[in-house]
Amino acid sequence: MAAAAERALGKATSRNGERILGSLAAVALGASLVLSLVVAPPDAVQGEVQRLMYIHVPAAWLAYLSFAVVFVGSIGYLRTRKTRWDRIAGASAEIGVMFTALAIVLGALWGKPVWGTWWTWDPRLTTTAVLLLIYLGYLSIRRISDNPSRRARWCAVVGIVGFVDVPIVHLSVVWWRSLHQGPTVLRLGSPEIEGTMLLALLAGVAAFTLVYAYLMTLRLRVGRLEDRAAREALSPIVEPAVEVEV
Amino acid sequence: MSAVASPGRPGSFRQAAAILAKDLRIEVRGRHAAGTLLPFAATLLIAFGFAFGPGREVLERTAPGLLWMAVLFSAVMASRRAYQTETEDGALEGLLLAPIDKAAVFLGKAAAVTVELLALVVAVLVMVVALFDLSIGSPLPLVAAFALGVVGLAAVGSLFGVVAESARTREAVFPMLVLPLVTPVLIAGVRATDLAAAGRTSEAAQWLGLLLAFDVVFLSIGVLVFGYLMED
Amino acid sequence: MQRPASHVSAPPTTVAVDLVGVTRLFGTVPAVVRADLRVERGETVVLRGPNGAGKSTLLRIAATALSPTYGGGTVLGFDLLREREQIRARAELMTHSTRLYEDLTAAENLRLWCRLLGIGPEGIDAALDRVGMLEVAGERVRGFSQGMRQRVAIARVLLRAPELLLLDEPYTGLDSEARYAVDDLLRRAPSEGRTVVLATHHPAPQGLEHRTLHMDGGRIVREAP
Repeated sequence: MAAAAERALGKATSRNGERILGSLAAVALGASLVLSLVVAPPDAVQGEVQRLMYIHVPAAWLAYLSFAVVFVGSIGYLRTRKTRWDRIAGASAEIGVMFTALAIVLGALWGKPVWGTWWTWDPRLTTTAVLLLIYLGYLSIRRISDNPSRRARWCAVVGIVGFVDVPIVHLSVVWWRSLHQGPTVLRLGSPEIEGTMLLALLAGVAAFTLVYAYLMTLRLRVGRLEDRAAREALSPIVEPAVEVEV
Repeated sequence: MSAVASPGRPGSFRQAAAILAKDLRIEVRGRHAAGTLLPFAATLLIAFGFAFGPGREVLERTAPGLLWMAVLFSAVMASRRAYQTETEDGALEGLLLAPIDKAAVFLGKAAAVTVELLALVVAVLVMVVALFDLSIGSPLPLVAAFALGVVGLAAVGSLFGVVAESARTREAVFPMLVLPLVTPVLIAGVRATDLAAAGRTSEAAQWLGLLLAFDVVFLSIGVLVFGYLMED
Repeated sequence: MQRPASHVSAPPTTVAVDLVGVTRLFGTVPAVVRADLRVERGETVVLRGPNGAGKSTLLRIAATALSPTYGGGTVLGFDLLREREQIRARAELMTHSTRLYEDLTAAENLRLWCRLLGIGPEGIDAALDRVGMLEVAGERVRGFSQGMRQRVAIARVLLRAPELLLLDEPYTGLDSEARYAVDDLLRRAPSEGRTVVLATHHPAPQGLEHRTLHMDGGRIVREAP
């Protein structure tokens, strides 16, 4: 009885927490939209299209933050073997891959009017593209369903190896690109960042981080429910004597 | 995942050497890798020749890149092959159940794949010099570039090769995992080869350093995490 | 026949296998459910049951080839989950897969094993002779029948002298010579102080004292003397 009440309480607070987080995220998103579309001035050189930066940069930031979380979750899982860490890593990978794809698409959309082409192998964009491929590799391992504990271990290894690889990839791409001073030295950024532009940018980063956190809590809750459903389907047969952590 | 160290038991490197010797002996006897890798690389290079030729100029300029692409794809094949011999009679489980350092299995396998790829590189270099007229400016940095690059490819391939041979893993997963991770090897290898062929040794050194760093990082990580991949 | 040296000495115990509440799931399919297995040192235990009863899985868990999804225990005094390498140093699993390399000869396979485990190769010829495989020691395993392979696997066991021997349907596909070799191995085990757990449909060798456990649906359901 007490355990059931405790569980219900836990559900309620986390649901509440979720709602608060969601509202915060929505508000922050709204604020950053206003700041980036209305308050910040258009770029002197690039014009209105530069406003894409306010979504592109936060998305890229989140692509890397998500992968850092995948890394931490992977290490956590290998050390403790607790499903919680695998769930965190997997959730972060699923959310992160979306932000990564978003960052790349926006980067291309932004680049077309600025550079004249969709893709110029800009170092940061290129590294982000490789990151996307690493994410996809992680998710393809995650799809192996016949042996969840082994899958979790394999994913964890990919998460760790991939994360360590990203700085090396970045370094190699930067060196590689430095060989070619392209016709345009314009980077995806702005030559001068004014006060309000910086504010809009930071607001975007904060908003996106909140959105990420919110999506994570949603995905983790779904993950916990999935695991519980699987356990309950088995309990008539198995009834684990060992308390399985959440 | 640590070794059961003891007075009677050989150290991890000895165990790795035993596995390396075993893999090379199997390769010499069965010619599994040579039989598939060599024709594959040759086919690839000739296909490149058709795609980019017949004018020599384009081929000359793209030769380092094409060379490394051939090595890259061959590395994927060789790594996969290295683990196919282990599935033949559940041999991999034998290595798992042996009280040996699992990292030794990784090092032994990576070393074996490295040797196979180096042999392949020699053959491919000969082909490329003939087909694409690649001039060899400074041989030493060129050799170093391939040696270091191949070690990096073998390390990543030998790490995830365990995953590739599992029954439920789909065909395309293994290359999908390996290729993005070895991007630095491809970039650095091609640059170093290009510079070495042009005789610009000092500039090539920077890229060789990157290859070395990659090798050290991935061999170290492989040693640490390989055990987790082998266990069920 | 040398014993591999291990600097961690086994904690004193009369129990060879003590698995408690072991459950193994493959995805959502339970293969072994809350199995308790207790085997004394020097005992021979036979596991019987229909196909899919979980005998193989339970043996493999005891051998540390698989981890249990739930539950744990000790094997030869070492923790099943945390001291796996110690168990591997002292236990050997024999299954239908003989884990030999096809392109190596019988002798080379054994030599590899010895090199990995730090056992001197002097005993190889004697071990092969014991199982009647000395003449073909220099031939590649690829040409061997299942019976011949299993005999090489037995030679491997003899070289290593494990304290615990786990056999999973060892008689499958064997000719009479190989069956005899397996029986011989089993008959000698008690006098050599070796604990044996054997899963088989085959009748046990004549005169071998053993305890029988029946498994069904992943559980140990019945014990017979």
